[in-house]
Amino acid sequence: MQQLSDRAEPISAAAYWELLMNLTWREVKGRYSQSLFGIGWAVAQPLATMAVFTIVFSRLAKMPSGGAPYPIFAYAALVPWFFFSNSVASGTLSLVTYRNIVTKTYFPREIVPLAQVCSRFIDFFAASALYALLMMYYSVAPGPWALMAPVFFAMLVVFTVGLTLATSAMNVFYRDVNPVVQIALQLWLYLTPVAYPLAAVSDRFRPLFVLNPLSAIVEGFRSSLVFGRAPDWPLVAISALITFGLFAAAFTLFKRMDKYFADVI
Amino acid sequence: MTGPHTPIAIQLDRVSKQYRTGRSRTIADLVGSWIDRLRGRRDEVHSASRGSVDATIHALRDASLDVPAGAGVGIIGRNGAGKTTLLKLISRVTWPTSGIVRVAGHVVSLIELGAGFHPELTGRENVYLGAGLFGLTRREIDRQFDAIVQFADVERLIDTPMKRYSSGLYARLGFAVAIFSNPDIVLVDEVLAVGDAAFRRRALEALRRLIAEGKTVLFISHDIWNVRRLCSQIVWMDEGRVRAYGPAGEIAERYMNEVNIEALANQATALQRHRGGTGEIRYVSVELLDDGGRPVTMVAPGDTLVVRASYHAHRRVSRPVFQIAIIDVDAGLVITTASSAVADGPAAGGDVLGDGTIECRFARLPLRPRQYVIRLSISDSDQLASYDAVTAGPRFAVTSRRRGVDGLADEEDGLVSLPYEFVHHRAVAAAAHRQR
Repeated sequence: MQQLSDRAEPISAAAYWELLMNLTWREVKGRYSQSLFGIGWAVAQPLATMAVFTIVFSRLAKMPSGGAPYPIFAYAALVPWFFFSNSVASGTLSLVTYRNIVTKTYFPREIVPLAQVCSRFIDFFAASALYALLMMYYSVAPGPWALMAPVFFAMLVVFTVGLTLATSAMNVFYRDVNPVVQIALQLWLYLTPVAYPLAAVSDRFRPLFVLNPLSAIVEGFRSSLVFGRAPDWPLVAISALITFGLFAAAFTLFKRMDKYFADVI
Repeated sequence: MTGPHTPIAIQLDRVSKQYRTGRSRTIADLVGSWIDRLRGRRDEVHSASRGSVDATIHALRDASLDVPAGAGVGIIGRNGAGKTTLLKLISRVTWPTSGIVRVAGHVVSLIELGAGFHPELTGRENVYLGAGLFGLTRREIDRQFDAIVQFADVERLIDTPMKRYSSGLYARLGFAVAIFSNPDIVLVDEVLAVGDAAFRRRALEALRRLIAEGKTVLFISHDIWNVRRLCSQIVWMDEGRVRAYGPAGEIAERYMNEVNIEALANQATALQRHRGGTGEIRYVSVELLDDGGRPVTMVAPGDTLVVRASYHAHRRVSRPVFQIAIIDVDAGLVITTASSAVADGPAAGGDVLGDGTIECRFARLPLRPRQYVIRLSISDSDQLASYDAVTAGPRFAVTSRRRGVDGLADEEDGLVSLPYEFVHHRAVAAAAHRQR
């Protein structure tokens, strides 16, 4: 017989992990079932955007792409970008979407927004596979710096999870958070060096870009995969600091608020 | 079974829970309430555009409770008495405003069956998802999988997306997943209302087995009869407080008495509500009496019940037909009687004007220990025009023959009791064997 406890029942790490995997699976399956093109849609989004960007920014605006073919230059940034923006967009709504289980069963609440982020992994890797094909098509060979890509991916995930935890928790209390987030994501794309290189940003605006962790992440992916060179280390350092700071703050906020989710959702 | 050495499974120590209603949902509301506060208005003030912002509801007030491990405990009370809040606090879905909730062991809550299921996933995938929500690992689910599928009786559809399932099947699988999740404590909230009678029976049977295995089951139901079949103890919740906690038979009877007394007190208004008909002639009062003419709300099986109703006809009504029906609160219509159907009924012939009384006598009431409500109506002789219809008249309960004993016997299940003889013809071979 167990002891009486006034704390929430601890769920074993294995069960916790499996619940995350199950919710992730539920999310992926729900998104792509009964669709003919299936996972293909995960690739279509960055690919179509790449095509539009190539016409608008490269052909019409003559945007420099640092010597690399513009499509591959844009695509290398669009894949992490869409991972981020799709995760945050659906993650913000996740606790409200899953109110059914949040108000009816106990489990660590952070699993819900986490599953949203995890469900985008599959999109990310599908789109990455296409990136490999693009590299072959444009005869861009990966160099040793490509080994840095997982580091930037880790930063991307930590930043995305941190932001999603914060926005999903706040959206439980104030539904205004969601429209704000959706609009912010639209603008954020253009305030991040996705369609253009960070080098093209004038010095006056550069501090703004340095404070945006996605600048370093997106540029990092590019330097390691497209250009095969070392990243801008000071930029990466600042970005990592902000990323982990945000994550810690967001997680603390989330755990403070999660006791009240079921009451107000 | 609740001796001094029985360990406690659930302990509530002066627990209160407040909810804020009309809580600011948008920034505009929030700013609005700040402005109100700055202007010095009180929180409870109703504002036309926002409703009352920040009003609080006390869902639970200073509730204390010790539930011994291995007990089947029913939770009864009116809507809004705090029953569901109690379960949500125990399951850690929500947290108390003050006080402490202590729980020993793995809690599985059945506040809604199959709450975690996704309609696009197959039954199989949902079993893993649902059991995962209850804290089981894949390997543990593997071990229970066959039992779950067998209990829910979904072998045939287990690899079909659950959106193709009927609601009953959905509930069955949800229930099966929960009870096979190795719970120490099971919380059940009115979920047996869904699903068919066969499922209800099986579910009750399964819960009973869990109790027999030493698990603790908390069971919310409006069906006192089901509560008594399952539970040895009852918690009576009233306006957020624990009104009483004790042996099931005793508490159920006290509760039923109060509900009935209230129904009697409110009879005048109750008769006005749920009222139909054109109104030329109407019932004025309805009484339930025993054999000796005393008012009753509790009847033992086999007792006599008299329904006496007085009426008033505003204008002359030709050959009205008075009808009295007994409705089982859970199962529906049991019997309808009509004044014209009985040869010497009080108003079988002739016109009616002014006041009068009718009486319908049920000798040796063949009813099961459940709750009933009387429905009354007056119509014309062709039963085409309805003068009056009281859909919810007085209530009464039939008590169990096994008063004070835990649970109810299966022989008391079913709608009515009929006189029967039971004969057992043994096979010839067996008889021959005995002779040898």
